[in-house]
Amino acid sequence: MLYTVNKSPLMTNNLETCLAVAPEGEPILLYEDGVYATTEGSHPAEQIKAALKRHPVYALEADLEARGIQHLVEGVQVIDYDGFVGLVEAHDVVPWI
Amino acid sequence: MKKAAVLMRKAPYGSVYTAEGFRAVMGIGIFEMDVVLTFVDDGVYALVKNQDPEKLDMQALGEGFPMLPEFGVNGFYVHQPSLEARGLSPEDLVMDVQLVDDAGLAELLAEYKTVLPF
Repeated sequence: MLYTVNKSPLMTNNLETCLAVAPEGEPILLYEDGVYATTEGSHPAEQIKAALKRHPVYALEADLEARGIQHLVEGVQVIDYDGFVGLVEAHDVVPWI
Repeated sequence: MKKAAVLMRKAPYGSVYTAEGFRAVMGIGIFEMDVVLTFVDDGVYALVKNQDPEKLDMQALGEGFPMLPEFGVNGFYVHQPSLEARGLSPEDLVMDVQLVDDAGLAELLAEYKTVLPF
């Protein structure tokens, strides 16, 4: 299952509960305000680093660019809209919205 | 002179709050009020450099804030703990701001009394 998170990691606990629930190996896709978690040096970056040991983690390029996020946690895979569609086609989705 | 502090706490593109706050501040300018902007929690993201929401078909918000002094805004205050939690420093922002801690923010809001939340 593809788990998707679109809310800010510091204003909701959506990322935290999603990562607690998602079984090892399942892909995590961050989009909209969810992409803020990938900012290197931020508090949620520690959650992402831990998640990368258990899951592939993707972040949507258009949302990163919109928010001026320049320094990403290493290992996060940046994908465009086609990549987003590819992931959704390949998996059933758990929208953790 | 009437005083008001605008309290920005939301990220810029996930909701309309930041854009509406910006619009409201431009309007307040004509009333000759003493207005300051405060950026707390995800509100600090509004001031980050290099925002490019073109692929979202949205207007960039960050670059607009430095022109607000022309609309009567007398101060820009950023909550430093919020900035640090997000891996950001003052150099990452589109303009010079004054940093405040928890107590400093509370004092500012108490001084201005009227708080407009966005």
